[in-house]
Amino acid sequence: MERSGARVVMEALERQGVDVFFGYPGGVVLPLYDEMLNWPQIKHILVRHEQAAAHMADGYARATGRVGVCLATSGPGATNLVTGIANAIMDSIPMVAITGNVNSWAIGKDAFQETDIQGITIPITKHNYLVTNVDDLPYVLEEAFYLANTGRKGPVLVDIPKDVFIKKTSVAFPDKIERRGYRLPPTPDAGQIATAAKMIAEAQKPVIIAGAGVMHSHSWDELRTLAETCDIPVINSLLGLGCFPRDHELSLGMMGMHGEATGTLAVQEADLVMGIGIRFDDRLTGDTSKFAPNAKILHFDLDISEVGKTVTPIAFVIGDLKDSLQAVLKEVAPKTHPAWRAQVKSWQETYPLVVPEGKFLSRTVLRALNEHTEGEAIVSTDVGQHQMWTSQFIKFKKPHTWLSSGGLGTMGFGFPAAMGAKFAQPDAEVWAVVGDGGFQMTLQELQTAVEFNCNVKIALLNNGYLGMVRQWQELFYDHRYSHVAMGSPDFGKLAEAYGVKFLRCSRTEDLDATLEEARAHNGPVLCEFVVEMEENVFPMVPAGGSNSQVIMDPALKTPVEAAK
Amino acid sequence: MSQRHTITALVQNESGTINRVVSLFRRRGFSLASFNAGDCEQVGFSRMTFVVDGDHGVMVQVLRQLDKLIDVVDCESLEPEKSVSREMVLVRCQPRPEQRESLYNLVLEFFGKTPAASETAVVVEFAGDLAEVERLIEALQPYTIQEIVRTGLVAIKLD
Repeated sequence: MERSGARVVMEALERQGVDVFFGYPGGVVLPLYDEMLNWPQIKHILVRHEQAAAHMADGYARATGRVGVCLATSGPGATNLVTGIANAIMDSIPMVAITGNVNSWAIGKDAFQETDIQGITIPITKHNYLVTNVDDLPYVLEEAFYLANTGRKGPVLVDIPKDVFIKKTSVAFPDKIERRGYRLPPTPDAGQIATAAKMIAEAQKPVIIAGAGVMHSHSWDELRTLAETCDIPVINSLLGLGCFPRDHELSLGMMGMHGEATGTLAVQEADLVMGIGIRFDDRLTGDTSKFAPNAKILHFDLDISEVGKTVTPIAFVIGDLKDSLQAVLKEVAPKTHPAWRAQVKSWQETYPLVVPEGKFLSRTVLRALNEHTEGEAIVSTDVGQHQMWTSQFIKFKKPHTWLSSGGLGTMGFGFPAAMGAKFAQPDAEVWAVVGDGGFQMTLQELQTAVEFNCNVKIALLNNGYLGMVRQWQELFYDHRYSHVAMGSPDFGKLAEAYGVKFLRCSRTEDLDATLEEARAHNGPVLCEFVVEMEENVFPMVPAGGSNSQVIMDPALKTPVEAAK
Repeated sequence: MSQRHTITALVQNESGTINRVVSLFRRRGFSLASFNAGDCEQVGFSRMTFVVDGDHGVMVQVLRQLDKLIDVVDCESLEPEKSVSREMVLVRCQPRPEQRESLYNLVLEFFGKTPAASETAVVVEFAGDLAEVERLIEALQPYTIQEIVRTGLVAIKLD
């Protein structure tokens, strides 16, 4: 049936089961916004800045595993998506970004609001398209969703000139995507599996570092079975939190620059480190030449380009993690490591996370938030101190509940991402934990939250500083604070102006009541926690430093020295 | 140990394909010594040849990263003894009148051609492997080289 390019876009969204998407109109996408009125079943969330549309699509994807969709007009609309797209590719988030462009005959002539968004986004998309023929549109859109959500997931951008939205086509959607050279992850090699099983059988001091790949491949059950069968402690990368229950006796929490000391010490002492769905990034490994010095490294991933990119493993298994872990499970026999487990336990007792009493700290707030939500809520963050404390103190139990900007480290991500998650999971309790710096980058979305009664709770940890930068200036730049003191508006008045419920808390005694009131309110709540200004995140491995030299929390009473 | 690797790729022609492939080298800091792209035996596809400097690990990363690009159908690193690689070069020289004959003789020795000449200039055409091209250019130095244009290496495997 002949229909316009704009209609093809909406049909594509419907075919993909998109129930909600995030966008902002403009000149060249007028035909699409007109068509949208015929599709009330597909909810469009009108944001206040396109960056937030991309972050919401990202949050939607993280909370569900489904493709998040964002939409912007040409020129500045498209470029405003860029941070959100870069954020998505760094964390392998399935996303389709649709942009309008000027009429196809005007491209290259510096027309009003023209920008080369395809060229701009080449390095930050899994793939992108400029569709100049409406007959190509059904296939391209179908392929865009397919690419975004298969293999190593990631954002795909489709740039559509205005005339292509208007022109008619009778080309049908393809039944099947066949793309030469696009290979899905292979079936795990039997030899690789056998090697992996042998390494597990021989290990006396094994650890697993489980990452977001476990989430993307839905293999958290297999991970848990493997850990339990072979008695292997599980550490999470930052983005892997939630894929292994934090209250499990084998869980050691996060490792990395600010990971819990036990995980870091365990990796440095282990004789087998199994990286499962992680990319051994620099914030996790520290100095790679000193990473896991006593261990054989065994890497499970679907993307072979991650093997040996930063850390060279002894062996690897390439394939979808669900297949790989299932195959390994058939080859391994139950075993236990009582001595190793006892060693790990003693580290946990020696190096716990600490929350000094007598002060109102960010940690005080997050510990309480964890007590109230019991690891069941969806929690998002920006980047920085609040992100690290959240990763330490919120004891995530389930996959798809932790939404944090890991690879790109994007300030302003947390609040819109939480909204995207809430639109995706209306029944879930959703918290955005943000700092005063990051919140001021995307707080305009308070209006969007009000309009759609998007019931997210914002825990704003206000310490008056760009806390992590301040911490580095304190520790590595001799307390020379350069442009890190951050003024803020009166958040109470701001919330009032937007019509958002506001709570302010600056004393530990009021914390429980504040959290209870926020959770009981049916609608967005901005909770400002006025916390201690100078509080540092520990443990800490300085950038590029060795994981054998963890700086422990000075508040720990035991004199400590990290394992060699 | 850093060495020179010749990598070929079959790519699907689309808007942005060359940009995307070349951007990968820049973005990941791979050292691209030469690059060539052209039509091939399959309609809608091109073959590209890359010459990359780096150790074995770099070569492996280049292949794995290239392979991840959606436009790239296949890519491989060619072994010198099981492949043929050639570069074509055009050189415009401005020999003095008394040098003309020796220039023509030199080109003949190299099995090159002189497809065009004017009263003042001679265009030399030559195709060979990298070392031969370098040798020819060196030998042409006395003939007042005005301009050199090289295609970059193209390579094909034997089996």
